[in-house]
Amino acid sequence: MGGRFRGALTACLVVLLLAGGAAAQPTLHVLNWQGYGSDEPWAVEIFEQRYGVRVVHDYFSSEEELLTKLRTSPGVYDVVLPNTVYVPIAIREGLLEPIDPSLITNFADLDPTLQWVPEFMDGDDLYAVSWTWGVTSFAYHTGRVAGPVDTIQALWDPQFAGRVGWWDDSLTSVQLAALATGQDPNNPTDLNAIRDKLLALKDQIQVLWTSEDEWNRFLAAGAFDIGVYWSGSAARTQKFFGLPVEFVIPQEGAMAWLDGWAIPKNAPNRELAHKWIDFMLSPEFYVRWDTEVGAPASANLAAMAQLPEDSFNRQVLADPAVVERLVFMKPIAEEQRVRYLQLWQEVKFRFTL
Amino acid sequence: MRDGRRTWSIVGLTAPAYLWLTLAVFLPLSAMLYFSFLTQVPFGGREASLTLQHYRTFWELDFYPLLTWRSIKLGLHVTAWCLVLGYPAAYALARTVKGRWRESLFLLVILPFWSNSLVRVYSWTIVLRSDGVLDRLVQWLFPGAGPLNLLFSYPAIVIGLVHAFLPYMILTTYVALQSIDERLLEAAQSLGARPWTVFARVVFPLSLPGVIAGVVLIFVPVIGVFMEPRVLGGRAGTMLGTVIEEQFVQAFNWPFGAALSFILLAVVLLLLAVFYPFLRGRRLV
Amino acid sequence: MRFLGGVAGRAYLALMLAFLYLPIVVMVLMAFNRSSLYTLPIEWDLIWFRSLLHNQRLLQAGLNSVLLATATMVVSTFLGTLAALAFHRYEFRGKALLQALLLPPIAIPWLILGTAMLIFFFWVGIGRGLHAMLLGHVALSLPYVVMVVGARLKGFDRTLEEAAYSLGANPWQTFLRVTVPVILPGVVAAGLFAFTVSFDMFVVSYFLAAPGVATLPVEIYTAIRTGLTPEINALSTIIIVVSMGLMLAVARLYNFAGDK
Repeated sequence: MGGRFRGALTACLVVLLLAGGAAAQPTLHVLNWQGYGSDEPWAVEIFEQRYGVRVVHDYFSSEEELLTKLRTSPGVYDVVLPNTVYVPIAIREGLLEPIDPSLITNFADLDPTLQWVPEFMDGDDLYAVSWTWGVTSFAYHTGRVAGPVDTIQALWDPQFAGRVGWWDDSLTSVQLAALATGQDPNNPTDLNAIRDKLLALKDQIQVLWTSEDEWNRFLAAGAFDIGVYWSGSAARTQKFFGLPVEFVIPQEGAMAWLDGWAIPKNAPNRELAHKWIDFMLSPEFYVRWDTEVGAPASANLAAMAQLPEDSFNRQVLADPAVVERLVFMKPIAEEQRVRYLQLWQEVKFRFTL
Repeated sequence: MRDGRRTWSIVGLTAPAYLWLTLAVFLPLSAMLYFSFLTQVPFGGREASLTLQHYRTFWELDFYPLLTWRSIKLGLHVTAWCLVLGYPAAYALARTVKGRWRESLFLLVILPFWSNSLVRVYSWTIVLRSDGVLDRLVQWLFPGAGPLNLLFSYPAIVIGLVHAFLPYMILTTYVALQSIDERLLEAAQSLGARPWTVFARVVFPLSLPGVIAGVVLIFVPVIGVFMEPRVLGGRAGTMLGTVIEEQFVQAFNWPFGAALSFILLAVVLLLLAVFYPFLRGRRLV
Repeated sequence: MRFLGGVAGRAYLALMLAFLYLPIVVMVLMAFNRSSLYTLPIEWDLIWFRSLLHNQRLLQAGLNSVLLATATMVVSTFLGTLAALAFHRYEFRGKALLQALLLPPIAIPWLILGTAMLIFFFWVGIGRGLHAMLLGHVALSLPYVVMVVGARLKGFDRTLEEAAYSLGANPWQTFLRVTVPVILPGVVAAGLFAFTVSFDMFVVSYFLAAPGVATLPVEIYTAIRTGLTPEINALSTIIIVVSMGLMLAVARLYNFAGDK
């Protein structure tokens, strides 16, 4: 009996010790989307070797999940990537720390309109550094869909019944439905019309994807032909996965988002976090990311200037007529956000009926 | 004196297990019950007060009760299929296969438990999707047949769950069937009963505890699943389990998630209350 | 008629086994498929087994799972065997209640238990991580251990113990030399059960996982949702081959020890 007990305790201790882990080297904990540049093996290697540290990634598949992780894991992450809608919420809840731009050498090269974005600030403090911006819209497989497609109503077109991929995200769903019903996506007034428009997707949607990876896998497998997607990801799908897709910014407009690196409150490695942000902004990282893999537009003008002429970002986003159709995402009130979540949950349920 | 020592023996032997269960099961359930009456999460600088709102929200729209019913139906469907498919398999294993074969086949039935359940579920997506294994097989056998796309549908969820839980039913039924005394069967036959009567009047009733155990082991987890509906169900994959999970992971509305969990628990307990006398009677515990 | 029943029975079993093994066969085959997007037809390659060796996350998660399952097995078997012994030996008031209290972990969906544990552990400061998962896994496997060992004990004749006493053995010796050998197969089976419950446990681990600390099922689910590579298939193939080996070894042991 004694032997068994001791054995048991030792086993428990071994488990706990190994859980405590070998934290000899400083470790930078990054929280980001999967496959979104920061976890490129070559990038991680450069940073790890340059500063003699380890970089560990954790992922989320929606901004909502990011918020929950921030709330439930204080003092764990060093650097996270929210967008303009969610930074204000995080600031309000005291989840973020102010950033010192003087520690970031590439800050000066940022597009002036993106350096001091109001949504990233509270008073005079900067809480997030603009990194990339892009568009949420849709893309289609050029081999299976006869283009060009130029309207958002294509997603509701019966010819694509059962051939549509949709992102499982409440905010984006509401925004897309708002655009499709002629409302302001940042402040829709008729939620019932939005609910009905979303319910009309019942026979359209085949795949409710939650990650870029799923999008690529199921498009490649022929599960869907046209789907909600992001501009940078479309570039990556073309370049890295070799799938022929065309990204569409329709006449009705599309949502543009701005992602920024932020440092959570009580981050273990504040200084290292600043160095990471600097590295992420650098042309050294960005140009290689976009040319080898595919990326959204960088907030760093110097980096963008170094892109080759035929890059996706320069082509699609250089056209002023297109840029005019973009609607930048604005923050929303907490009650609004919760209402959208409930609406989307209800819509998803009614899809099953 | 003897009595005191006996009491200490009992306490000493049972206390460790039950203390552990208290810490890991009973206290958490109580905490969750308390949470379901809070307005919001009571930590992280938030103030929470008591409310019945979450339970009211459940009944306000038709959406939540319908969702609960959908999950119960899933449980019933999966359990029924496991019963229909698993009982004959257990019967064949217990009664028609003998000796070394029986042990080997029994092990083969259990082995899938040791493969990772998530990878198995994911493998079903490769089998069931259009241009997947099944689709290609059908095209090969019947060229010109339309594409078979079973993935992202309710049947896909049922198939994945039946596959995951079938061994439970086969196991419990097999154990019950195996323990039936041969002499009872011989006696019945010698009294002139035909094979079907022997089965219906002797074998099946005696195997019932195993069947009921299997039903409980399958139905209870299935009504709370969220992983299989997510991976296999696509747009058909909304269940009470996925909605509860979203409250905790996405919406950070833990009190509402707790309320939904308790409503689900109430449903389960209600159904089990019907079956518990059968379980206790057969002394399975 | 009997013969037909036998053939039909075997044929049906074969069909069921085919159903049970279909995804497993697919899973193993995909481990050897070069395509990272799981497209058919299969292009044979071993690259995923090689790249698995460099996948720190996956290997660490696998290691966590094995260690956690081992710890669960040890603790759960110990606690459960003690309780089973108490139930077998003694009749006492409240025994029925205690036996009934073993049902919640089985009778309550894991989703509810997992979220309840998350709420309680987070609130009280136990937090999340391997220690929290150990708490959960042991609690979930305890009822099975008690049941399996209890079933073994039911067939155990007390007179053997009494005979040992009458021959002059003290309680300790009786326990070690008489009781233990008889119940050992049951304890071993219960231990394996507990190991399996923990190793394959997804739902509870999902809610109790801490950032950077994951078990294999949780890591695989994250991968399915955010970025799946066939390295997972390679790892799963290795696991199932190892389990098959272990299973055969245990089956041999069990037989030699003899049933009954």
